[in-house]
Amino acid sequence: MIRHFVPASLEEALRIINKNNCYIMSGGTDLMVQKHVSTGLLPNFDRSVLYVMGLKELDYIKNESDGSVSIGATTRFVDIEKSELVPEIYKKVIREIASPNIRNMATMTGNIANASPAGDSIVPLVLNDAYVVLSSLNGERKVPVKDFVLGVRKTDRKNEEIITKIVLLPQNLKYFYRKVGSRKAESITKVSFLGAYRIENNIIKDFRVAFGSVSIKVVRNLEVENKYKNIKASELNIDEVIKDYSPLVTPITDQRSNKEYRHKVAMNLLRKFLEEIKGGQNE
Amino acid sequence: MEIKFKLNGVETCVDVNPSMRLLDVIRDICHLTGTKEGCGEGECGACTVLVNDEPYNSCLTPIININNKEVITIEGFRETKAYRVIADAFAEMGGSQCGFCTPGMILASYAVLKKNPHPTEEEIRIALSGNLCRCTGYQAIVNAVLLASEKGIKL
Repeated sequence: MIRHFVPASLEEALRIINKNNCYIMSGGTDLMVQKHVSTGLLPNFDRSVLYVMGLKELDYIKNESDGSVSIGATTRFVDIEKSELVPEIYKKVIREIASPNIRNMATMTGNIANASPAGDSIVPLVLNDAYVVLSSLNGERKVPVKDFVLGVRKTDRKNEEIITKIVLLPQNLKYFYRKVGSRKAESITKVSFLGAYRIENNIIKDFRVAFGSVSIKVVRNLEVENKYKNIKASELNIDEVIKDYSPLVTPITDQRSNKEYRHKVAMNLLRKFLEEIKGGQNE
Repeated sequence: MEIKFKLNGVETCVDVNPSMRLLDVIRDICHLTGTKEGCGEGECGACTVLVNDEPYNSCLTPIININNKEVITIEGFRETKAYRVIADAFAEMGGSQCGFCTPGMILASYAVLKKNPHPTEEEIRIALSGNLCRCTGYQAIVNAVLLASEKGIKL
């Protein structure tokens, strides 16, 4: 039987989900579309639903003693965008997600849990080594966002677990972000690109690249990144980097775009980013 | 289950499934049909209502998420001075043609003016980016919000 649970506390929610395999509903901006039937009819759920948006104890953004920033699971994009504690790069990405209305309702945790290849906030989370904390009656576990999203709508969440927070780790990096869609607002991403670097005395000390919407999950490759660390920025071989990333970017053709275009745009954005590093103007 | 909220200033209680869309509660249970359904999937903004003064797409809002909150639809907003200023500006600038997007546009316009009484054209365009209009080409609507801003919405 499909049941609808509205817990009054996290503890109650954990007890419910321990016994029932549930969809977890927060802002509803993905689930309410996916389960929509028709005007005047209830959404059609094939499993029970646990509504967590009323859990005030999960609505927070705070600094932790180790310098990280925790974002509770029911914190909405609009509040993350406004917070002084959240690094600017996340805000830049959030401002290009959907529309103001949707950002008033949706949560970043929901964006991760929905595990869409076009989930925009997943890109900076992966690039910056952020992790989620999953809670159950048995305790907590931390999983890097990079490992949490397994594929299209697939995550590492176990049936008895709830994502309770996202943890952002501060980084000393310069960023280059571009989202490509059909229009400015409310476009589902065709390709997104986020590059980051840190140069000290003309040496590339940190180098990171992530692509969104070009594979079943965000593309990031540590092996390639390490190859270009600790070399002189002026000696960076742009064509070589592009050659390394080219086979890793494997987009598909769908109603939004085609694979050739997506691949081309992804490589062009990578080139632009690499030219910025090589230009060295951001010392 | 019973869900309590304030609708246009009136304490309201509905006994429905928590997944019911706020839009269906407003239109079918509360019989307020000023809020429109366009796409039904959060793209068009025709169903925009204010929840605690923030614009929400009521077509994607499960009613449980409104528990103990305050909802304002175009019918409630019509009773305010701010409505008069914004509606007059829309009329003067030709910001409404077929009218289907207008309730949502007016509420989204109010939300931006309340936060920022003198927004730039760019800020208005961002604030209204979740509300689609197939008639005006948007310029007339942006002009209307600029005019309302000039006149002041007199909160």
